Amino acid sequence: MQPLARAYEHSVPEHPIDGGLFGPGSVVWRVHRDRSFPLAAIRSLMVQALHPLAMAGVAQHSTWQRDPFGRLAATAGYVLTVTYGDTAAAEGAAARVRAVHTHVRGTDPVTGLAYRAEDPELLLWVHAGMVDSIVQVVQRYGRSLGPADADRYVAEMTRFAEILGVPADRIPASVAALREYLESVDLRQITPAASEAIAIVLDPPGLDAPTRDLWHDLGQVAVGTLPAWARSMYGFAEPPAELMQRDPVRQLIGALDFAFESLPGVIEARERIELRTRT
Amino acid sequence: MRESRLGRGAALARLALRIGGRYAARSPQLIFASVERRGELRHELALRTADDVVEELGSMKGALMKLGQMASYIDEDMPQTFRSAMGRLQHHAPPMSPELASSVVEDELGAPPEQIFSRWDPLPFAAASIGQVHKAITADGRAVAVKVQYPGIARTIVSDVQNVALLRRVTAAAFPGLDTRSLIDELGERLREEVDYLLEAENQTLFAAYYEGHPVIHVPHVVSELSTARVLTSELVAGSRFDEVLLWSQHERNLAAETINRFVSRSLYRIHAFNGDPHPGNYLFHGGGRVTFLDFGLTKHFSDQDLAPLIDAVRFLVVENDPDGFRASLERAGFLRPGAPVSTEAVVDRFGVFYSTVLRDEPMTLTPAYASAIVRRFFDARGPLAPYSDVPRAYVILQRINLGLYALLGSLHATANWRRISEEFWPFLNGPPSTPTGEAEARWEKSRNGQEQSFDRTA
Repeated sequence: MQPLARAYEHSVPEHPIDGGLFGPGSVVWRVHRDRSFPLAAIRSLMVQALHPLAMAGVAQHSTWQRDPFGRLAATAGYVLTVTYGDTAAAEGAAARVRAVHTHVRGTDPVTGLAYRAEDPELLLWVHAGMVDSIVQVVQRYGRSLGPADADRYVAEMTRFAEILGVPADRIPASVAALREYLESVDLRQITPAASEAIAIVLDPPGLDAPTRDLWHDLGQVAVGTLPAWARSMYGFAEPPAELMQRDPVRQLIGALDFAFESLPGVIEARERIELRTRT
Repeated sequence: MRESRLGRGAALARLALRIGGRYAARSPQLIFASVERRGELRHELALRTADDVVEELGSMKGALMKLGQMASYIDEDMPQTFRSAMGRLQHHAPPMSPELASSVVEDELGAPPEQIFSRWDPLPFAAASIGQVHKAITADGRAVAVKVQYPGIARTIVSDVQNVALLRRVTAAAFPGLDTRSLIDELGERLREEVDYLLEAENQTLFAAYYEGHPVIHVPHVVSELSTARVLTSELVAGSRFDEVLLWSQHERNLAAETINRFVSRSLYRIHAFNGDPHPGNYLFHGGGRVTFLDFGLTKHFSDQDLAPLIDAVRFLVVENDPDGFRASLERAGFLRPGAPVSTEAVVDRFGVFYSTVLRDEPMTLTPAYASAIVRRFFDARGPLAPYSDVPRAYVILQRINLGLYALLGSLHATANWRRISEEFWPFLNGPPSTPTGEAEARWEKSRNGQEQSFDRTA
């Protein structure tokens, strides 16, 4: 978890020049520091992997299997910088991602289709998978996020996709529109690359036995929050209802978050966010 | 436990006369100003709603902080990250906002604190594990410390400690090699008790009554008419904190250490009870060996059956030099499985370490290194006896106190003839006073004869 803690520490600036793309009063600021975020991250990956071209881009151009937590930390760092960094930091981070994307192109072996990471359709898919997962998970296991705030969150997050090159008019701006979009993507399917990737996400290397048990539970809960179509593509059974109850899941998240907060810099970063939202 | 106001006032007046204002300042206003530790609290991050509280301390966080605190006494190998986490999280625990604290007082006492008290400090001066402490002056002019519990914390903690499966996994990850089953069971029970301030008030009242008039041990009186399950009001005491005492002369530190040691022995052998939290913040020091003991949220009562094998163990090992008898009493207490295929020498070697301060009749200096060596040897989960030994649930808290105590006395670098002091309390010896403090105690004990009552709460 150390790389994640460092991402946290470095992405939340001590002396920001401005409020960034969203600002301390935004729903984005409130939602993105929810403790249920690890669960949302796992669900995001599971949804995102079901687009064969998005998955092929990752599988063919990333070495994430060797260091899944390092890769996760990089993504988390990006999300946190775009959220809490000042405008310059957010735009700088987006520019770096776009520069990397120009090199990510190839052909998906399953569908035989060519892909490029700059393709707004792929960027939109990845964006929608993430935003939908955050809404689902935070509404169910996080701090209160009512339907109106959830819609506001999705609308605010359109900016997040825009800076990576998705045309504004293509980005769903409500929870319902987001879901409708996700279910309209016909290419959705499970590929060997996706199965392989999610197997690693659910059972990452290098964890000691008790931590692995905790992570497995978290993965099961993430499976339980997937839309039915995604769960059936993976062939996952629906987890037992008692595993999905709010109290025990929050306890699980709380225990992991306790360990996370113990790492240097995390509490301080959270306090910086909290203090800025209060003034 | 409810006394008439006149009776309590008279008792307090007697106390004030006897101690000459050593514990309580003469003017409540003065003491109001003197207890000042506010700088440590992060008021700008104050929790503003019950929902904030649950987010910050619910979902296992409060329970894990407590567990970590307990385990930190007993596990040398506790990973450094976890250890520093404890310190960080405790240091960063935000207080309640004045409005939130005030609403708890109103819910519990029926009116806002400004109406209940003639003076109420809206900002807390100290953090408590599941609440915070405010200074106030009662309508009849007494300076009091009002402990206010975080709203909603009781429900979430009770629910958290019921999730034993998760607690076991977390502790297994945090403390590899340590058998934490009995620790978790004990933690659950203690935390369920700790959220009920009425129980703490009852325990504190028991200790305060027993130690009434004691020459060096002071327990603040509870103001029961201003105490409920979530608000605990007791006499406000001013004194020096533990970290200040570390700068005092060695003589003063020795006296302070002796008093803490006497408090533990006397409470165990005479009241059959232990105040379970040897946290440095739970003491106030007044010089001349006088110590005020705070926080009775983790009090454990022992039955005669709990204590008998421990008393036997010390008698056989230290006084009668009978290793077989020592081993048999450990087996009776459940520390060692009967018939374990290990030599009695090994048993003495492992368990005897706990008695090393009282083995010889001579002055001995406790150091931090000594304290941690004891802890390390006692809780060596990989030693030859490990498969056959356990800490029975009745004694988990006793271990915790003992080890925490060693750490505390060790950091004072305290020197005393611990053996002679202990002999004063061992029921099979009832030794004579061995120090000036012991003589003062003996005089106190004599003066309170006749008002002696049974303090065995478990009978």
